[in-house]
Amino acid sequence: MTLTDPREALADQSDFIGYLVGLAGLAQVVHILAADSRFGDVDGSAPPRDADDFVHALLGLARMGTAIERFANSAVAHHNPSDAFSLPASTVETSPRDDPTVGWLR
Amino acid sequence: MTAPMNPQAVIGMLAELERIRELTLDLLEREAPQLHPTPPDDASTTERSVFDVLLGARRAVLGNPATARRLHDLLIAEGRRYADTPRGARLRDQLVASEAVDDLRRVWESVSLNVLGGPASLNATPDAWADLLADAFIEHGLDDSILDRLRPEGFA
Repeated sequence: MTLTDPREALADQSDFIGYLVGLAGLAQVVHILAADSRFGDVDGSAPPRDADDFVHALLGLARMGTAIERFANSAVAHHNPSDAFSLPASTVETSPRDDPTVGWLR
Repeated sequence: MTAPMNPQAVIGMLAELERIRELTLDLLEREAPQLHPTPPDDASTTERSVFDVLLGARRAVLGNPATARRLHDLLIAEGRRYADTPRGARLRDQLVASEAVDDLRRVWESVSLNVLGGPASLNATPDAWADLLADAFIEHGLDDSILDRLRPEGFA
């Protein structure tokens, strides 16, 4: 049930993966914006002026994209046992289906 | 002592809150029509689409100022933390030097009317919230008992 359309169950209509993909897409836009530099490639020297709240908000968005990629990479590792070396022991020893700690994610 | 509200009553009350919020926003736009300008007559389809998106963004911010401010503060806190890392610092410097960011900042200030400006309140955001959540979900998992506490019987 939603607030504006109480006929449908929110859980049935939500597109959680779509939210994550959308956020990751926005994070990519931040990188595209960063590539539009007035001064060519930044060489690690001091920036021409201080970063303001707007720039930090964009950075926060980029960071969220990184976090979402961590989720995606984690999911790939779950489905590909050959990548299991990168997982913590608690998730390697049991499959996601058998692991009670991730049961609620399904 | 009164009985706890059932799910239907909670939804009803939240729906009422949403209705009041929408009515307030409608009233605001009616009494201050300059907040909801009409698009230029000679606008192309693309310009019209951009105009609509920007007006929608303004309505989202003005209609949910506390939520928008909270989200704004969360992003800034995470951005500052990211800027402390080598990768984040490099991206920050690129963004500061970006002409497109200057343009976007101008657009954002026009759309939001700077209502989200000003210093964030102290302790408004948990430290390292993005990593906190990612670590909780990816590295350690989350015990079902924690989720159970957030999902009272009958609500989900």
